[in-house]
Amino acid sequence: MRLSRGWGPLRFLLVVAVLVLFMSPLLFMFLGSLRVPGLPPPEGFEFLPDPMRERNYLTVFEISEMTTFLRNSAVVVALAVPITVVVGSWAGFAIATASSVARRRMVAASLIALMIPLSALWVPRFVLFKWAGLTGNLGSLIAPALMATTPFYVLLFALSYARLPRSYFEVATLEGLSPLATWRTVAWPLTRPVAGAVAILAFVFHWSNLVDPLLYLSDAGTYTLPLGLRALQTFDPTNYPILLAASLIATVPPVVGFMVMQRAFFRHIVEVRG
Amino acid sequence: MNRVIATAISVVLATAGCSSDGGSSGEGETAPIRFQIQGEPEEISVYRALVDTFEDEVPGIDVEVVEVSEEEDALAKLATSFAAGDAPELFIINYREFAQFAQREAIEPVGRLLEGAGISVSDYYEQPVEAFTYNDELQCLPQNISSLVVYYNTQLFKAAGVKRPQAGWTVEEFRDVALTLTKGDVHGLGIDARVIRAAPFIWSNGGELVDDPENPTRFTFDEPAAAEAVRFLIDLVQKDKVIPSEEEQAGEDLETRFTTGKLGMFLGSRRDTPKFREILGLEWDVAPLPVMGKPAGILHSDAYCISKGAARQDEIMRFVAFALGEEGQTLTAFAGRTVPSLKSVASSQAFLDPGQPPAHPEVFLDGIPHIRKIPVIPAWAEIESLADEILTRLFFEPDYSIEEAVADLNDQTRDLFGASE
Repeated sequence: MRLSRGWGPLRFLLVVAVLVLFMSPLLFMFLGSLRVPGLPPPEGFEFLPDPMRERNYLTVFEISEMTTFLRNSAVVVALAVPITVVVGSWAGFAIATASSVARRRMVAASLIALMIPLSALWVPRFVLFKWAGLTGNLGSLIAPALMATTPFYVLLFALSYARLPRSYFEVATLEGLSPLATWRTVAWPLTRPVAGAVAILAFVFHWSNLVDPLLYLSDAGTYTLPLGLRALQTFDPTNYPILLAASLIATVPPVVGFMVMQRAFFRHIVEVRG
Repeated sequence: MNRVIATAISVVLATAGCSSDGGSSGEGETAPIRFQIQGEPEEISVYRALVDTFEDEVPGIDVEVVEVSEEEDALAKLATSFAAGDAPELFIINYREFAQFAQREAIEPVGRLLEGAGISVSDYYEQPVEAFTYNDELQCLPQNISSLVVYYNTQLFKAAGVKRPQAGWTVEEFRDVALTLTKGDVHGLGIDARVIRAAPFIWSNGGELVDDPENPTRFTFDEPAAAEAVRFLIDLVQKDKVIPSEEEQAGEDLETRFTTGKLGMFLGSRRDTPKFREILGLEWDVAPLPVMGKPAGILHSDAYCISKGAARQDEIMRFVAFALGEEGQTLTAFAGRTVPSLKSVASSQAFLDPGQPPAHPEVFLDGIPHIRKIPVIPAWAEIESLADEILTRLFFEPDYSIEEAVADLNDQTRDLFGASE
């Protein structure tokens, strides 16, 4: 108790310092988004712009198809994130419960797949998507979720399932449960924080995915948010307030998503500790 | 970043090869002609207007605009779709980047199609037409011809009592003006450390950038005349300090400095014009490049290219003929971003538009006779980004000599030059 009394204020200051450090880009984005467009950029640091222009947030929707981009991005994450979590979890469960030889092979295969540079997949994917009729529509952005988006998520799940005592699964099998039922009743409930983490990671990945829509989409009506931001990025520095306003709009969903999800997994950690 | 993308693109092109049937593959007669363009939202809206006008005038031909914002994105998208055999039927590309596509026969040489479309090449400026000629055939039809000019801040000029530079002004006068303008947080001059900026100075002094402009194998700007020009530029940065230092440029780039009135002169092509027009309170004009020996300029040009094997080429050509004809070129000229490649429109009011700055748009046309092009070889995009890195070191590292720089650069680019033969 005596120790923590001296530690308290210091800890508080430390937390505030870290918070300021991590929040400052968001803060600058917010303040910058309120400047009047068309003015030269400020010299040095400017705290509250004077005059403030909240209208920039409306301008974003007037000069670009922001509503369309937001809707398309929402459709992609709404489908891709749950699919990624479920498929990744299944695949991870399969790896964790396989025989040791098979497990080693599957982990090696996942690692190799993880090491392939993404640009090497551009063309094969294009051909595949074209064949499957997915080029030019959002299907090309959602399809990778059927492979858990990246082997990394599969390995995350595999690792967390491997940490559970194997006897849990053996008992379930002896009880006559199918692998799917074992996954649903035993494995899944015990690793929900991992699912939360993968959901957040997958959300951020699909939400900010620039390359795939760039390569596989051609009709501006199917474009997603990152392409919209990319277009605003070509503005001159004097119009950056509009870009910053759009960036802030784009940042809100992941931030809110994180705040909702982090409660879930921090509560779990507390429970485990307690 | 640029180099990573450039390398990725060349890998994509090299490994996958180009499928020869680039165009729409059997989706029936109703599939639109996909037309890929790259640019800022305002630029793209100009092309949309162009397409809309065309579709109104020629019902039955459907053109779909495929818009991409950044240049490197556009190249990545093109390279991938070509490699996958599903390229847009029509696209616009810069002459410094088109050779990699031409070499792999991904482009349908437009020269063969001109007569059928009623287009006469002699109506267009010959420099860009020549730049888009590859293997003795016109590959793509250029839409613009720009060169490097000196954008200058007229308020700063007035305040310092400096007169408007005249054609044929010397680099010494150029340097003196830059020195006069440099005071406080204002720098007299901004020149990007890039090959396309240094080249006209090298040429003006009678030097050469590479050993053979048609079939280059190495850089030669360490030879006396060229080295003298490069030394002049380096001195502007290091000795005279009229160009912002690397740190200063990292804090605020040259273009931004010009828009905020902290740069007296800025070297840029026509594409900067619409940006500067938008800045409230900025008064500016353009002047010709200074001369070191004989006048020299550098070509900037983009062209309409048709994908190899595209279906319905006659319909595509109707659109190209429209876009690059009087009406289409007038429409794009009004937007301000391009200097028309069609001579009749370049000399018309649409381009010499008196209502908007610059007050002397003829500067863009007067330099045309002295314009030269950068080598057109497939690996140029990659070579140029390596050269830009070396040039940046030369500008800002006092101990780095021109001889060392050229030796380093030739080491790095030997294979790339070789691959282009």
